[in-house]
Amino acid sequence: MRLRRHFNYEERTALLFIAPVMTVLGVVAVFPIAYSFYLSFFRIKLTRPNRTPFVWFDNYLHLFKDEMFWTAVLRTTTFTVISVAAITLLALFVALLLNQDFRGRRLVSTVLLIPWAIPYVADALMWKWIYDSGYGALNGLLYQLDFIDKYMIWLGDQDKTLALIANAFVWKEVPLATILLLVSLKSIPSDLYQAARVDGAPLLQRFFHVTLPSMRTGFMLVIIYETMIAIRHFDLFFILTEGGPGTASHVLSWEIYVETFRNLSFGSGAAMSYLLALITFALAYFIIRTLGRSV
Amino acid sequence: MQTDRHLQSAGRAPGRSINYRRRAEIFRWLHRAVILAGSLAVMLVVLSPVAWLVSSSFQNEAEIVSVPPHWIPDQPTLKNFKAIFAATGDETVTYETRNKQDPASGDYIPSTAGNLLPAMANSFIVATLVVILNLLVGIPAAYAMAKIRFYGRNGSIYFILTTRVIPDIALVVPFFLVIKNLGLLDHILSLVITYLAITVPFTVFILIQYFEGLPDELDKAARVDGCSRFQSLTRVFLPLAMPSLVAVILFAFLTSWNEFLLALMFTQTAASQTLPIVLASFTSDFTISFSFINAAGLLAIVPPVIVAIVFERYIVSGLTAGAVKG
Repeated sequence: MRLRRHFNYEERTALLFIAPVMTVLGVVAVFPIAYSFYLSFFRIKLTRPNRTPFVWFDNYLHLFKDEMFWTAVLRTTTFTVISVAAITLLALFVALLLNQDFRGRRLVSTVLLIPWAIPYVADALMWKWIYDSGYGALNGLLYQLDFIDKYMIWLGDQDKTLALIANAFVWKEVPLATILLLVSLKSIPSDLYQAARVDGAPLLQRFFHVTLPSMRTGFMLVIIYETMIAIRHFDLFFILTEGGPGTASHVLSWEIYVETFRNLSFGSGAAMSYLLALITFALAYFIIRTLGRSV
Repeated sequence: MQTDRHLQSAGRAPGRSINYRRRAEIFRWLHRAVILAGSLAVMLVVLSPVAWLVSSSFQNEAEIVSVPPHWIPDQPTLKNFKAIFAATGDETVTYETRNKQDPASGDYIPSTAGNLLPAMANSFIVATLVVILNLLVGIPAAYAMAKIRFYGRNGSIYFILTTRVIPDIALVVPFFLVIKNLGLLDHILSLVITYLAITVPFTVFILIQYFEGLPDELDKAARVDGCSRFQSLTRVFLPLAMPSLVAVILFAFLTSWNEFLLALMFTQTAASQTLPIVLASFTSDFTISFSFINAAGLLAIVPPVIVAIVFERYIVSGLTAGAVKG
């Protein structure tokens, strides 16, 4: 009865329609985030289930003093920077290609969807086999082409491992980035090119002064979106290296996994994942701000 | 094009216009060559790792460990696939038969090979349930947010946007404790519930975009004809929204099919393990034949690849719509 008095038919229908989604997301998204914030103030060891003292910000302070945490931050940053730079650059080339009108364009764009569609686990096992130091294709190919005279260790080499994992990541992420960049390429009004051509601007100048600036929003979107994906990426690290060799690929998501499910410290695991969520939110805020301005 | 060429050649001496034409021709030829080279490069980079996975999955043990590798198997064999599809019989390797062989040679098909098909079934069931739930909660919400003016409409759209960016790894710790307390560990329901967190926001988003693109007059006409809001949604909008529904179904399905992190935390036995989990368990065992691992990987990528090729148009338009606002 009260509902009827306060809301008109439209509003009641709307509330009824959005109620399921709000309930579901409340339970599976808002609640866990709030709960992990709450958990991060306790010392929770599953090995000692009956003692979970409230420790204020101890978990966070502990993290900031932990060398492993800063190593993980560094590895995550390196991985993210390499990956996002490569993804953006490669996606730009592929998007420029697919923006042309040529026979076989459909074929190329369909094939490009394959990496996007397959599971990360399959991507990981595929590259793990390619990088294999004993029988892998990378060794085989380089050997047959005479670039190396004996098989080398790839993932097991500290200096190469992050770049190789990034390669497997980039291979799978470029298709999506390409689609996003293609949208912004297609939305450049052709008058701009006409005008530039009439002014006698050569190809490269048209590219740098018309194409690139008009794609600003697209680049922004790709960079922020891919950064959000890269800083929390887990699957490849789990299958390819397990954080190794040494700490060479010990990224934040791996550190959260180890801390939570191997050391069974749920409190500090929650603190770390909460920090990661905050970083992601900050990035997302930038997405909404920048896009809000441009639309 | 026409006016533009006219303008340019008008500015030049008559004698040089031929030169210009030749230059244009060279340019066009170069353009074509660059496109061809670029297309080939893209195809090569995308397809060659996959081709190597396919080739490896058909190799026998002697070939898979040859140095340098056999790019194309000399004697293709189906033994890996037989082991997966006929999990009982001679091909299954138990602990005893495994001991008879030298584990170091790696010629080993794991006894868990038979888990692959049940895992595929689990993945399929989970993905299907996730799709159904997505449609049930997503469609009315997206319609309301796109077509009904109500207090809190912008707020709810921003809320959906925010939930879309919650990283899955941040959900793992709280989810784990809750699911453990609910006694849902190692049950596929735990996956269905948690996968909603990573699929529903995207679903609602794509549908909002699509519904917003449909004219408001449709709604008004339906209402004038005596339709309720619900009827207007089911009879007028849903039939028109088919393309976006296809995209939504595909995304929710593929996301669930491919998901690894949450499944890794919440599943323990073959009863609930999904395909990525069983695959990952193969990769960490050094005694398992590489060709077997590749065969398992091949099975995991076939369904998504088919989906991607068949529904390319819907996927691209869906991703494009999903991109515009976040």
